[in-house]
Amino acid sequence: MSQMQALCDAIQTGNRNEAKRLTQEAIDAGLNPQDILDKGLVPGMYAIGEKFKRNEAFVPEMLIAARAMKEAMAILEPHLVKAGIQPKYRVVIGTVQGDLHDIGKNLVAMMWKGANFGVIDLGTNVPPDKFVAAAREHDAHIIGLSALLTTTMPAMKETVAKVRAAGLDKVKVMVGGAPITREFADEIGADGFAPDAATAVDVALRLVA
Amino acid sequence: MNDRQRFHATMHYQPRDRSPLYDFSFWDETLPAWHDQGLPRSVDRSNASRYFGLDRSLGAPEPEYCGTGVRSGLCPWFESRILEDDGDIYTEVQGDGVIVRKQRSSVSIPMHVGHTLVDRESWNKHYKPRLDPNHPDRIPADWEQRVAHWRDENRTHPIFIDCGSLFGWIRDWMGLENVAMVVYDDPAWFEEMVETIANLQIANLTRILATGARFESANMWEDMCYNAGPLLSPAHFKQFLVPHYRSITELLNRHGVDIVWVDCDGKIDDLIPLWLEAGVNTMFPIEIGTWGADPIRYRREYGKDLRMMGGFDKHILATSKQAIRDEVKRLAPLVEEGGFIGFADHRVPPDVPFEHYVYYCRCAREIWGRNTNLPPMQADAGAA
Repeated sequence: MSQMQALCDAIQTGNRNEAKRLTQEAIDAGLNPQDILDKGLVPGMYAIGEKFKRNEAFVPEMLIAARAMKEAMAILEPHLVKAGIQPKYRVVIGTVQGDLHDIGKNLVAMMWKGANFGVIDLGTNVPPDKFVAAAREHDAHIIGLSALLTTTMPAMKETVAKVRAAGLDKVKVMVGGAPITREFADEIGADGFAPDAATAVDVALRLVA
Repeated sequence: MNDRQRFHATMHYQPRDRSPLYDFSFWDETLPAWHDQGLPRSVDRSNASRYFGLDRSLGAPEPEYCGTGVRSGLCPWFESRILEDDGDIYTEVQGDGVIVRKQRSSVSIPMHVGHTLVDRESWNKHYKPRLDPNHPDRIPADWEQRVAHWRDENRTHPIFIDCGSLFGWIRDWMGLENVAMVVYDDPAWFEEMVETIANLQIANLTRILATGARFESANMWEDMCYNAGPLLSPAHFKQFLVPHYRSITELLNRHGVDIVWVDCDGKIDDLIPLWLEAGVNTMFPIEIGTWGADPIRYRREYGKDLRMMGGFDKHILATSKQAIRDEVKRLAPLVEEGGFIGFADHRVPPDVPFEHYVYYCRCAREIWGRNTNLPPMQADAGAA
């Protein structure tokens, strides 16, 4: 098995010690940091996401994989910075105004980080203007809106309208959460909808392609 | 028939005059909104089921239904106190030791911002002692009167025994992310926590069932699924939880309690067969959600082994009277067959017009209740 395949396996099985060891080993061997990221860490998170979509992995398995990724990234990050490598795409994510729920939003943020998106997490109960300001400040490619409550779904509509009114033409808006459907996403003019955290990666990649 | 007989007959597919008519209560915002739409201000969650002409509420405080009065969880509670108060949003330590951020203008699940249960040390110091089955406060002061009530052969209402929660409580006490890590990092500790709770339930039940009382049902709470499926893999569920569920349900079965329900929202499909295997045979409340659950499909898949409650999509209540009537009629064959008690699949939200809910209750009384032996419907004498 190649070193990168071993790293990929360590990530997708959530073996954080092995992931850290293999990352360090790859750096010590002089591998390109971008290759370590693209051929070892990101494919590992992609693989666990695919298993999640096939009902072969569940939330705990995604969480331990994300932890392994995060700890391996802590080793790799200084080398990426030194080489001037930054995430290609930036996303702003938050739970909409009036809603304090964050588990779904955190899962999506975690999977986006695993796909090497730069993630700006605004937290919960985020007013529409704050999404707009953050997207502008960070030159975001995507804004991700989360809601758990049916009663806060109108805040999604309001946020999409504010983004459009602000003239952030290149920024795509994605929505998700337990009560959200594709029909609702279309109705409020969102660019994308994902029924789960793993699919959110696919949709985001499609939107920025 | 009385409500006790009717519940028993329905859950055992026996002949009966009609189905029980229950509700699962309302969001905190719903009744105040309806007060502005014509609901008398004297109607609150404690008496709403009577106003709407239903037998009982399974979600409002009705002590004679809510179990035995024996404390199945943490005893004593942690001291509850507010840490920060910013008007609408405040942060508090709850009685279960969880630090949460809540919103006064909205209820639902609060946001966890910290936990008292973080490792084995905090478990041994703060939680394990609170799960001691022998804590004197577990037994209500009026134990003798309660026992007499439970054993009363002329009792007209069912009593449901609370059997706690094997995963949901731990998830709440630690937070989802932390408990997910523990399952992998320290499975022996996770197993110990589950076993400690199971042993507490068994000790409580042994004490209660030794009185010779006959109960109509036992209930557990888990809330361990979301819109995409379970929060724990079916493999871990089977490994860690099923043996302990089985210990509890076998004890109940030996004392004639053969209806055991679990309260679990979300997409439960992957866990239904495992709960059935563990002797938990009633799903409550079947929540339709965006994942398309359907009690008729579940009955087709699992037959009469699976009992269900709920199953009426609450969002239909906000649409039209015709849609409401259509859905009540669609579920009617299941109600007739038994092993199913229909009601709005979760607490009724405030976007449902009062008039629609009154209409839903009228339809349920007519179609599910066969207009037979019904309690009076005060709403029909009122504004709606």
